[in-house]
Amino acid sequence: MEPRKVPPSADSGTPQIRSPELGGRNAKLSLNRLKRYAPFFALIALSLLIGAMNPRFFEFNNLIRVANSASIPLVLSLGMTFVILLGSIDLSVEGVLAIGAVLISLLVRNNGNGFDLGWSAVVLAILACSGIGFLNGAIHVGLRIPSFMVTLGMWFIGVGVATLILGGSTVRVLDKGIRSIALDRPMGFFPIAVWVALGALGITWVIERQTRIGRYIYAIGGGEDLAALSGIPVKRVKIIVFMIAGTLYGLGGLLSAAQLGQGNALIGSGRLFSTVTAVVVGGTALTGGEGGVLNTLVGVMIMAVLGNGMVLLGISPDVQQGVQGVLIIVAVALSLDRARLKIVK
Amino acid sequence: MTATKSLRAGGRVQAAIPIVLLIGLVILIGVLQPSFLTADTLLVVMADTATLFILAAGITFVVMLGGIDLSIQAVASLSSVLVAIWLGRIGYWAFPATLLVGFITGAFSGVVHVRLRIPSFIVTLATSGLVAAAALLLSQERSITIGEAGRAYLSWITGRPFGVPSVIFIGALVACAGIWLQCYTPFGRYSAAIGAGEAATWASGVKVNRQKVIAYSLSAGLAALAGILLTGRLSSGSPTLANELLLPAIAAVVVGGTSITGGAGGIGRTVIGALIISVVRVGMTFVGVDIFAQQIVFGAVLILAVAITIDRTKILIVK
Repeated sequence: MEPRKVPPSADSGTPQIRSPELGGRNAKLSLNRLKRYAPFFALIALSLLIGAMNPRFFEFNNLIRVANSASIPLVLSLGMTFVILLGSIDLSVEGVLAIGAVLISLLVRNNGNGFDLGWSAVVLAILACSGIGFLNGAIHVGLRIPSFMVTLGMWFIGVGVATLILGGSTVRVLDKGIRSIALDRPMGFFPIAVWVALGALGITWVIERQTRIGRYIYAIGGGEDLAALSGIPVKRVKIIVFMIAGTLYGLGGLLSAAQLGQGNALIGSGRLFSTVTAVVVGGTALTGGEGGVLNTLVGVMIMAVLGNGMVLLGISPDVQQGVQGVLIIVAVALSLDRARLKIVK
Repeated sequence: MTATKSLRAGGRVQAAIPIVLLIGLVILIGVLQPSFLTADTLLVVMADTATLFILAAGITFVVMLGGIDLSIQAVASLSSVLVAIWLGRIGYWAFPATLLVGFITGAFSGVVHVRLRIPSFIVTLATSGLVAAAALLLSQERSITIGEAGRAYLSWITGRPFGVPSVIFIGALVACAGIWLQCYTPFGRYSAAIGAGEAATWASGVKVNRQKVIAYSLSAGLAALAGILLTGRLSSGSPTLANELLLPAIAAVVVGGTSITGGAGGIGRTVIGALIISVVRVGMTFVGVDIFAQQIVFGAVLILAVAITIDRTKILIVK
């Protein structure tokens, strides 16, 4: 590889604010690059392995099934990505998603009440979720409480509110438009839900690469004190990031309600864990400042391929949670730059 | 000098707030609902508090160190499944075996946390995934009812010596042991020291990592004990038995006055915190608040209590 004068952050791959040592240390550079693409290679190797053990993996319909199973995790993980890039965490996924799904299923045509707001219900519900995200961010920066504590509280508040407005029962969605998101496959290809998720990927990619907010997120994650000193409105950016996350969880709520055809307060159960795992497995560092939405796409695909492969190979779905637990530890252990961390709490 | 003095006085005032709050709540509910202040009701409240307190006591040391343990509800659920399965096969040995499993999961979290240097909330989140998967697999996703034969072994949990539910004695025993650990053993002193300033503690020669592993083992071990007590009281084990208890347990620690940033607090405060949570819960049930909606209150109480007790001078950057 030729020596390069510019640090790699300027043009290629994942932007890195903390670039590796400047100058021509090629060995170190290429090792870093290798590390950066490791999740992608892992995805390909995993797919080939599962395909070799069960050729049905590569059948067209199965690949569509994989894409479909990745759609909700992708939407949720995209929201989580920005939060983790800041170095914060959002544990409120399940609560916000439940509120989104329950609001949507209660406001469109359903078997529980007389509402039939159609698509404006979707807008209202997702706006409500943005509002909860805003609350998360505002409490976090306003009262200066660690984000995992704020969002831990908000997780249970969300599930409680969803249970309360539903009275502990389940409501069925009768609106054809909502159901079509999960059921219709335009041109016999992906279901609409997958296109929605890809749309979310596109938008978050633009936010990450093409907007000031995106650059600020990396700056804050890389070093918050420096970012604040250089005039970045840290508090505002953080609140915006938590709002984006809330909005995407609301979108995840829409897709969940469409997929299951119902809303209930426990609709998000288990989502938090798989969301954090996907983001981290994709190579976004929990310490912030490293990674991005494309990493998250790879991470989500690894989880989806693994889940699908375990079904194809006849492994109990209960094991999956355990495998995720192992994966998360391995991924974090591999990605942490421990030289920077003197004290780990 | 005066600054430290006023700081100390401030600390004392802050430590008294939970006690005043507890007494106020008890009086308030007693006035609204006089039947609350009868011996029978108070005993029921204390028996309910015992399991919550034991869960909270475990995390108290972890929080004092400045960490967090998000796996206790999964460990408690797993131990309920283990006890239910093992009672019929190995009798009384089921209890020490289950406690051992609890300690081992905690030691696992602790070792991964200190060796691989992964933040504690991620490690324990991952452990809770592993443990929950194990519980689901072992129980085949069903709750396991303990038969007549097995119930004989549970009499030490369900009994009422001197008319007082024995879980209250067990809770009191844990409280005494915890206070002893905290005040009279190096481990207790080191935990507070690590929470107050990890770098300085390390520099003065304390084996920080070992103390941390002990704290996480203790946390999961006590969670296993809480799971056993819950199993005894319900006569059945279930892989989701304790899922609703994580938040109240953390809330009990923080409401009692142990700071989430570590360093300040203790088991004694957690006793008060757990009682407050229980009394609030009973109060809400009297007023007629839905059992699920109670989570809203606990979530809000948790955020509020953290906001009040957190030591902001210690964290310059809040992530």
